Amino acid sequence: MAILEVQNLTHTYGGNTPFINDAVSNVSFTVEQGEIIGIIGHTGSGKSTLVQHLNGLLKPTDGKIFIEQKNIWDNPKEIRLVRSAVGLVFQYPEYQLFEETVYDDIAFGPKNMGLEGEELDTRVREICKIIGVRDEYLTKSPFDLSGGEKRRVAIAGVMAMNPKIIVFDEPTAGLDPRGREDIIGIIEQYRKATGATVIIISHSMEDMAQITDKLLVLSRGELVMFDKTENVFKNGEKLREIGLNVPIVTRVFNKLKELGVDVPQDVFTVERAVEVLKNLKEGDSNA
Amino acid sequence: MDNIIEIKNVTYEYTDADQTYKAVENVSFSIERGSFTVILGHNGSGKSTLAKMLNGLFKPTSGDVLVDSINTKAEETEIEVKRKVGMVFQNPDNQLVASIVEEDVAFGPENLGLEPCLIRQRVDEALKSVGMYEFKDSTPHHLSGGQKQRIAIAGIIAMEPECIILDEPTAMLDPVGRKEIIETLHKLNKEKNITVVLITHYMEEAENADRVMVMNDGVIIDDNTPREIFKNVSQLKAVGLSVPQTTELLYALKQNGFNVSTDVLSEEETAKAIALCLEEK
Amino acid sequence: MLKDITFGQYFETRSPIHKADPRVKMVLLILAVVFIFLSQNILSLTLSFLFVMGVALASKVPLKMYFKNLKAILPIIILTTVINMFYGSKESAVLLSLWKLTITYDGLYRAFFMSLRIVLLIVVSSSLTYTTTPNDLTDAIESLLSPLKFIGLKNAVHTLALMMTIALRFIPTLVEEAQKIMNAQKARGADLESGNLKERIKALIPILIPLLISSVRRAYELAEAMECRCYNGGEGKTRMKQLKVSAVDFYLCGFTAVFCTGIILFNIFF
Repeated sequence: MAILEVQNLTHTYGGNTPFINDAVSNVSFTVEQGEIIGIIGHTGSGKSTLVQHLNGLLKPTDGKIFIEQKNIWDNPKEIRLVRSAVGLVFQYPEYQLFEETVYDDIAFGPKNMGLEGEELDTRVREICKIIGVRDEYLTKSPFDLSGGEKRRVAIAGVMAMNPKIIVFDEPTAGLDPRGREDIIGIIEQYRKATGATVIIISHSMEDMAQITDKLLVLSRGELVMFDKTENVFKNGEKLREIGLNVPIVTRVFNKLKELGVDVPQDVFTVERAVEVLKNLKEGDSNA
Repeated sequence: MDNIIEIKNVTYEYTDADQTYKAVENVSFSIERGSFTVILGHNGSGKSTLAKMLNGLFKPTSGDVLVDSINTKAEETEIEVKRKVGMVFQNPDNQLVASIVEEDVAFGPENLGLEPCLIRQRVDEALKSVGMYEFKDSTPHHLSGGQKQRIAIAGIIAMEPECIILDEPTAMLDPVGRKEIIETLHKLNKEKNITVVLITHYMEEAENADRVMVMNDGVIIDDNTPREIFKNVSQLKAVGLSVPQTTELLYALKQNGFNVSTDVLSEEETAKAIALCLEEK
Repeated sequence: MLKDITFGQYFETRSPIHKADPRVKMVLLILAVVFIFLSQNILSLTLSFLFVMGVALASKVPLKMYFKNLKAILPIIILTTVINMFYGSKESAVLLSLWKLTITYDGLYRAFFMSLRIVLLIVVSSSLTYTTTPNDLTDAIESLLSPLKFIGLKNAVHTLALMMTIALRFIPTLVEEAQKIMNAQKARGADLESGNLKERIKALIPILIPLLISSVRRAYELAEAMECRCYNGGEGKTRMKQLKVSAVDFYLCGFTAVFCTGIILFNIFF
């Protein structure tokens, strides 16, 4: 069942913005329950504008958005309900922390939704368990945590709202390799535990290859491709045309083919690459 | 050998909640004039603290940092040291002072008290060297992250330093911006012979360096050419770093019984190494 | 979008007034303001009107831009007009009498006089802000205040100018950041639009605290960056841009001088 449907979404910014124009024009796509969707595109291609429409932070200039077959702008007064159905984790979410304790900060979202007492407490503790925020952290001030820990808490704050769809805008930006791995791990754990639909904006094709089912490619506000991740990466030429690239492993395999080695061109992860080369080698020695 | 920076037995301690920690512990090395050095380390490894000691922004708790033979502890030469060794930080927004590009670049030379016409000349030259001359009348606020960071670099270049330290200059940029910055740094290093010390946790940025140092828990644990450093995949992973995907692939192949050479870095070389290994059998 | 606010009112176009030295413009504006206030009779007011129109036209800024600024203070103009209408001299002929309020011809005349003066002041001040960038204004203020150096306020002028420069630089950044934090909290279900005053003020806390924390962090990082760029409190600092007085400035001075002399003459002899 389609959980999210975007129809002919267009958003133009008023005023004169000759510089970074993050407009979106005539974008349509459908997301099924439980999918992990990646959104790729250059800075200014409209990615952030697009995702801010999904929870009603921005109102479309034209077009419609349906969450579970319901047009989110049917009743503008109830747009806040949409914000709990679609969680949005902004870039550098740690900068939105403000409460005295980690616990209170994670509870902010659910509280705004009207949760209280035991229900609220269960919700907060549940989410902490899923993504590994330890109990002794809950009474600490969020400002005493390290950068990566702060981000984990900020993400927990959105997850605690128990959204049906959760959107991450460059969740690993600015983190070191271990921090990046942690965040990707959190997203996977959360999905496994809740079955939520996940949408991720990222610049890392390697991360995208690893976790997404489908990729949505934006360029200058227009949808260029929306297909299974492997099909998008098979289309390396088209990606390069708009200044994007395929994962490094895929590029190595493209080069291997140029060198006359007969390898498949749909290899996007190191694991798969090793598997393919192993088969090739054994096949050769058997022959 | 001609060294621009020499650090000897440097330790930096700080106190937090009545506990004393060592951010940097007994580190010694020197940076050769005209070289391109990368210092790798995860967040909290002490690499930022080390960087800030290289131009006297932080003073070591013990040990000495010498810039062109001047000790950074001497107060009367503080400005001289900062002019010789410039520094660029992570967030481009927080290091630009003026709302017009050329006026921002002029800030350093103005502080040095240079003649107006000389400042003009240096500002124009610095902006050209980072490819931002055509934006000299723009407002930084309207530029991309990579462009802003290049202006920050121009602001340092305009003081005509011998060496630039960059503390994670690409951490907040998109891939386009990161590429712009790394290319600019190599260009400045080659064309102007400016010594570059780049602090980062992006492995790819270390590929074309002359020398790579790996930092962990306040100490330098490895110091070699990028090829040698990347060979040691398990050590890098142990200290919370990753390797470029090319290296990771070769390493995984080797573990799976492939007789493949692992001291290559580029995609081209990796493809060739794999092809060669497949032919050999 | 909030981030598109251009700070100040600078209107980009080429005109002699744009080219003039900001210091000259600032001093002349002060003179013009004083003399518009000194316009006592219909003749001098007409002259003021012609002077201001001349400046506005020479600035090549579309007149509708000036009207925009006038519209913003329309309530003040109306209030002035109304109040003055009822405070005319009692000896003057009565135009209209409503209950205890009387409008005299004198009152009407005063009302017209006062509101026209306000309009002229707004237009002439706008002609400075429309033709001069905030940066140039900062430079002009620094330069005009530089005599303070000689009375022991050596670095005060520099510091003031630097503060203004940094404020101009960071206002758009902070506005953008406030917008981002607001969106992030809204995405967490924060309700910023409804409720009574107390609730609304309380709802601002999740925005103000992160904004404050990030401003402090920015200030700290900026201080470090400035230190690395050899800033030491403005001691021995020079400036790349030297303000230069050119021919345009002399014309502008001459034009203003004629206006001022005219006002003095009209006030004395009529």
